Amino acid sequence: MLISLNWMRDFVDLPEAIDVHALAEKFTCTTAEVETVEHLKVDARGLIAARVVSVADVPNAPHMRLAELEVGAGATVQTVTVAPVLPVGLSVVYAPPGASVAALSKIGTTEVAGQQSCGMILPGDAIGVPMAIKEAIFLAPDVTPGQSLPPEWFDDWLIEVDNKSITHRPDLWGHYGIAREIAAITKLPLRPYPVAPLDELQAGSGREFKIEITDPEACRRYSGIVVTGVPTQPAPLWMQLRLGHVGMRPISGLVDLTNYIMADLGQPMHAFDADRVDCIEVGCAKRGAKFKTLDGFERALTDETLMIQCRGVDVAIAGVMGGLDAEVARDTTSLLLESANFEPSIVRRTATRLGLRTDASARFEKSLDPKNTVLAIQRFVELAKPMYPNLKLTSPLADCYPAPLPKVTVSVKAKHVSRAIGREVTADEAGALLAPLGFTLNDSGDVWTFDVPSYRATNDVSIEADMIEEIARCIGYDTIEPTMPQVSLRRVAPHRLHDLENAALRHWSNGPGFREIQAYLWYNSEWIVQLGYDPGACLELRNPAADGLHRLRHTLMPGLLGAVRKNRFHFPAFSIMEVGTVFDPASKDDVSRRHLGLVMARRGKKSEDALFTELKGYIEAWSWQAFARPAGFSTVEACAGRAWEHAHQTVAIRVGDVEVGRASVVDLSLRQAMDEHLGAWGIAWAEMRLDVLADLDPVIEPLGRIPGHPRVELDYSLLVDSQVRFAEVVSQLDRFKNDLLKQIRFVGSYEGKSVGAGKRSLTFKTVIGCEDRTLVDDDTTEFCTAFEKHLAGCGFDVRR
Amino acid sequence: MDLETLNQQIAEIEADVAKKVGDMQAVDALRSLDTSILGKKGTLGSLIGGIKDYPPAQKGQVGQTINAAKKRVKAIIDARHAALKQAAVSADSAGAMAHDPTLPGDRPTMGSVHPVTAVQWEVERIFERLGFTVEAGPEMESEYHNFEALNIPASHPARDMQDTFWLTNGSVLRTHTSPVQHRSMKKFGAPLRVIAPGRCFRYETIDASHENTFHQVEGLLIDKDISIANLIAMAKTLLNEVMNREVKVRVRPGFFPFVEPGIELDMNCEICDGAGCATCKRSGWIEVLPAGMVHPKVLEAGGIDTEVYTGFAFGLGLTRLAMMKYGIRDIRVLNSGDLRPIVGRERQGGAVIVSREP
Repeated sequence: MLISLNWMRDFVDLPEAIDVHALAEKFTCTTAEVETVEHLKVDARGLIAARVVSVADVPNAPHMRLAELEVGAGATVQTVTVAPVLPVGLSVVYAPPGASVAALSKIGTTEVAGQQSCGMILPGDAIGVPMAIKEAIFLAPDVTPGQSLPPEWFDDWLIEVDNKSITHRPDLWGHYGIAREIAAITKLPLRPYPVAPLDELQAGSGREFKIEITDPEACRRYSGIVVTGVPTQPAPLWMQLRLGHVGMRPISGLVDLTNYIMADLGQPMHAFDADRVDCIEVGCAKRGAKFKTLDGFERALTDETLMIQCRGVDVAIAGVMGGLDAEVARDTTSLLLESANFEPSIVRRTATRLGLRTDASARFEKSLDPKNTVLAIQRFVELAKPMYPNLKLTSPLADCYPAPLPKVTVSVKAKHVSRAIGREVTADEAGALLAPLGFTLNDSGDVWTFDVPSYRATNDVSIEADMIEEIARCIGYDTIEPTMPQVSLRRVAPHRLHDLENAALRHWSNGPGFREIQAYLWYNSEWIVQLGYDPGACLELRNPAADGLHRLRHTLMPGLLGAVRKNRFHFPAFSIMEVGTVFDPASKDDVSRRHLGLVMARRGKKSEDALFTELKGYIEAWSWQAFARPAGFSTVEACAGRAWEHAHQTVAIRVGDVEVGRASVVDLSLRQAMDEHLGAWGIAWAEMRLDVLADLDPVIEPLGRIPGHPRVELDYSLLVDSQVRFAEVVSQLDRFKNDLLKQIRFVGSYEGKSVGAGKRSLTFKTVIGCEDRTLVDDDTTEFCTAFEKHLAGCGFDVRR
Repeated sequence: MDLETLNQQIAEIEADVAKKVGDMQAVDALRSLDTSILGKKGTLGSLIGGIKDYPPAQKGQVGQTINAAKKRVKAIIDARHAALKQAAVSADSAGAMAHDPTLPGDRPTMGSVHPVTAVQWEVERIFERLGFTVEAGPEMESEYHNFEALNIPASHPARDMQDTFWLTNGSVLRTHTSPVQHRSMKKFGAPLRVIAPGRCFRYETIDASHENTFHQVEGLLIDKDISIANLIAMAKTLLNEVMNREVKVRVRPGFFPFVEPGIELDMNCEICDGAGCATCKRSGWIEVLPAGMVHPKVLEAGGIDTEVYTGFAFGLGLTRLAMMKYGIRDIRVLNSGDLRPIVGRERQGGAVIVSREP
């Protein structure tokens, strides 16, 4: 929100030569963040009012017009202008020859399009008012041609306050509220808010109009008055300039005036044509009703939309925008002026649903002070009187306030203030700091009680902590001496899953050389279609970031494979991993899980077996190092739909005796579907459940002993059918029990001519020994006989 | 030959050997010298054969004299031999076929963690040194944990569709790590010192500086007599450690429903040193740490006795921190899975990269 320093000076007597940057910094550190400070230096010299006497076209220059202007004392000049609208009889801001403004070059008498042009009609944007291109600024009827326009109105300082930093402060959405903070910061007095006395409003002639509020929780207060004598005419120049400086385009006297009050007090107002709206009902729209707003758009309403109605007809969307039909028009003679207070969440919901966030709705959302409805009307009358000499109040003030908000008083324990701020704070100090903000300290013993002013009492300040904040920020955070806390020591259990995740990332990035990536939590529909993956039932987003990004992942694989495709252009080989959350919507207890996904990719045909072997080796090593358990792999059926599970190569991974995940290689057809170049790559992957792994009880494996007697090693090569899986062979060997057997180690697998077609030779090394003596020949023979008998029983041929 | 003559002869031989050996460059010549002196027929070696001509009383002494001489000559020749060998070795290693010791080493495949993980670990270490425990919370949260327990009522703008990813099962993707505040209070009670790093999600349009998926770390300290002064001290310590320098900070009011008072801690802009630049939006300050004293309602929801305990909490944007630390200009690179920013980084001026990557 933009704050004008000129405006501010109406309420606080700031020194002429104030350092605005320093003031803004102080405001940031005490109240709310200032985003920018800008010196608007129009540098207007010699500008006067000039009345349009006549307007004529300029031959061969369709965008230009020749205006005759009265410039005082009966004198007229002619000037060429590009102002699009120039009604005869209205006065404009005119720069006669010799006048100057910073944004324009020298102003004199020149020839334009073959016409003599004396001085110029100033467009709004040349003097700091955001108008449509080249539009002139029109002056109120009370100015006389030739009247000089005060240069000090044109120059200003603008302080932009970050809107997000004042969402909780409804009082700061107008200049007067900001002025209150500035007065407190600068320790200068704040002038009372200039308004017409309430008696004057209550003494309006005629009948009071009826206001009916159906739901006092939706509409807390509704106030209004009927006035006449408000003709269509421009607002005073000073008002237009100030509005322009804070980014609001001057439109007409009445609109400018209500906008001015909104930027002044923070209270939005609206004017209806009193001939069309002569009573007010606040209630909900009919379901499916349509309503044409001021901006000309037709809006669909729901039965939750809070509306202003008159005799059952919708006339405005409460807190958002008025209707086109009851709008004040040129022929309007009598206005129904209203200001109201609505439940913030209702206004916000409606504005959001309609996609119609207006200056008014932004303010209503902040929970405004209900007192402001009447105050705004008083302010309106105060400002309108000098603008409209024929202004008449033709009704007494109507004010419907069914459930007035109670006065808010907050108790504060003195010791809590000192505890929170970290130093002694006395009641006198606190009282003095908060008085300029409107808080009254009533009781100053061990428990202080503060009366909260109404403009801070709508949600903003209600409990002790709120008061502590007020005291702390007024003391100044920069004056609080930082001190490290005194704490109590206690032991808490470690978060095993988090620790495991860190350890896993460290392990896999260090030794095996994997690179961590992070992918999105959702599938990309296009990509999973390309992968031929049907994820089935997913947890879904109601509002995805984009179409096709609504399904939350069950597996990390699509993301990792996407990264493979992305990186294959740039690297001949890489290993990547992700630790991330996946979801299983079918699960009762653990919908959300943590996975570790690992992918190794390497360019080169026939590289996949080697990669898979390497990956399994890494998993075995990790299993021992992290869990002190062996890893095992057993053939499982590939999961239908998960195209990255190879039909014949997919295994379940066991750590100890717990199944923790799966591993496989990506087959040729999927690689080609991912990217034709990946046809010549090998891709191996594994995905494991970290949450399951974190639940494994820690095992400490005792160190082995150095044998006291020599061991004997015997190698056995087993000839098996190629179809027989290694895992089966191992489980058969595991069944063999013998007191002398210390270890069976896998040495290698061999396929080739010497073993014959369809056969495979698996070599194991057995280690035998005895703890209390050296083995003799008979021991070895006995072992061999027993072992070979077992092998024969399993159907394995022993290859000599 | 009397003994004197023998000694003289030996002395001459030794002198001769010393002289010859001094100039000798070839190992072969040295070998033939060895034979010609020490061999059976050599000048010294053949003297052994003459021992039998001496009287028995002298035989022993003559033998010793000759053998001692042989040993000395042998030592001279061996020394020269060793010197020649050494010279040959060093001549070899300097030759054209020799190994270039400036070649790079043979590097094992290197891995890496994500830049955000690296920064997260750094923050975890800083807090572990201060006795904080590290917690984690779920990325899918209930409305209660993400909002209500944190004093964010149903009417708060943060609960609009604009800011939050809503799930069809009624849960949300957590919009901040703050739910872990509540979870930790419930799990451990007071006193408490905990940080919780993790991934958060906001319904936001992605561009170079905005992501809908990012990391934060939550900090929470609850104990007796905890003050704003403590919070400011802790925040300064954290920033000094993370940035590895004495950071100038500014504390100003900030509004977050789950703290009261709420503050924003700004850090002096490193790029312009506070003068104002594009990075700090001309303010000279960079917003880094929203924080505050934990709101009494949040403490109560967590089952903490507010009469006895107070606490402070803060949130630190890990993703932002990683971007500052590693000079990441475009946030989108972080979730892209593209390895190029990490592997085979392009060097300024195209400097030669000698190490083999990846």
